[in-house]
Amino acid sequence: MKKYIFLMAALIMPLLMEGQAKKPTIMVVPADVWCSENGYMTTYDNQGDEVSVPDYEKAMQNDMDLVNAITKIGELMAERGLPLKDLASTVRSIRQSSAEDEMTVSRSSGSSLAESPLDKLLNRAKADILVELAWKINTVGPKQSVTYTLRGIDAYTNKQVAAAQGTGAPSFSAEIPVLIEEATLEKMDGFIAQLQAHFDDLLANGREVNVNIRVFDNGSGMSLEDEYDGYELIDIIDDWMAQNTVQHRYSLTDATENMMRFEQVRIPLYRENGMPMDTRRFVTELRRYLSKEPFNITSKVLTKGLGRADLVLGEK
Amino acid sequence: MAKKILLLTVALLLGVCLAPAKDNSGDELNYEIEGAGTGAQGSYLVKVWGLTSKNNPGDDYLCKCAVHGVLFRGFSNKELRQSQRPLAGSALVEQQHADFFKDFFSDGGSYKNYATMVSANREVVKIAKKKYKVGAVVTVNKEQLLKDLQAAGVVRGLTTGF
Repeated sequence: MKKYIFLMAALIMPLLMEGQAKKPTIMVVPADVWCSENGYMTTYDNQGDEVSVPDYEKAMQNDMDLVNAITKIGELMAERGLPLKDLASTVRSIRQSSAEDEMTVSRSSGSSLAESPLDKLLNRAKADILVELAWKINTVGPKQSVTYTLRGIDAYTNKQVAAAQGTGAPSFSAEIPVLIEEATLEKMDGFIAQLQAHFDDLLANGREVNVNIRVFDNGSGMSLEDEYDGYELIDIIDDWMAQNTVQHRYSLTDATENMMRFEQVRIPLYRENGMPMDTRRFVTELRRYLSKEPFNITSKVLTKGLGRADLVLGEK
Repeated sequence: MAKKILLLTVALLLGVCLAPAKDNSGDELNYEIEGAGTGAQGSYLVKVWGLTSKNNPGDDYLCKCAVHGVLFRGFSNKELRQSQRPLAGSALVEQQHADFFKDFFSDGGSYKNYATMVSANREVVKIAKKKYKVGAVVTVNKEQLLKDLQAAGVVRGLTTGF
């Protein structure tokens, strides 16, 4: 009897796992222009250049209207079955992790955690879709209105996939938070409809990412023009892309003996075993393919954000 | 003779394709819809103008028009700077799920659960002999309507497929 129960569980588990596969994550952030207009920017010195970046933490701690607007968007998205990744909690969590990492040392040698400059740079708030929110209060005599903008950016491609923008009816009496709430309620349905069209496209045609192939300059003389069974490595990688992309959709925009740049690469949402696929996994499969006979190429996968991965050939 | 049959068939087909939506009582769902302001969260506030032969159509008829309009036509209002797309995505959904919507919009159908007249006040305009334009403001509970249609598999949810 137990055998049957185990067998049933083994059969059902993959189905359940597939059903719970990765939903896109969405995070709402104030747009740069809104942060700039409201004084929520911070500057740092980048090798002599002064660079301004939005200070989300300061904005979330000081602007009640922003908190209200993000909370309302979160509430409406949760009603549609897609809760938001919370900006304030994410920023807090990153700060907390950084503090904990700095205090973590090995008991025997006292060494701290390894963290490269690249790791530090990558330690930032991430989501599949970043929704940028901005509004402006317009005043004409005693009347006030709100110009409201919502932009959904696909973090994989940096393409705008959904947007809602417009100016509400002017009001003599409504308070600003009420005008912002009304604008949010008005715009969200159109925004969600566009987001749904984007998700439908993802499901039908796969996720769009970018992949770069590079070669380490380690003196080994390796190049993408090296031949295997009469075929150049460039053609072999190109063929692999054609075989492994959804509906063979990708474009090879640049190719030299040292680099290949693939854009609009449509990768499947799921692997063959039903688990979710991402850019790193996809490029790792190419790395595995190249590590086998007759190529025997050692290579290293570097992920650059959610939607880009580089495969560097030659060494780890 | 063959020509006449062909012409008759084409005319019949055109009639079927171009006919406006009808409710079960035989009245055509002939109406105009516009936004009437921002409704409470989870609802739309719309004004429907039913075009009927009676100067006092029942509340059900106007509610039916409001739900139909919200689902398949969308609405706008230039003065209030409002614009909403059809909740069901497009009018095609009505054809794709014709059986479901025939029951849904039948007399005593489920559409009643999602619409409420805001007040008993109506505007009546006589536009021709035995032709009236009757306007009323209706609240449509769009959030519940959408949830129920998604549960019935008639419209896709935001996370359907994930």
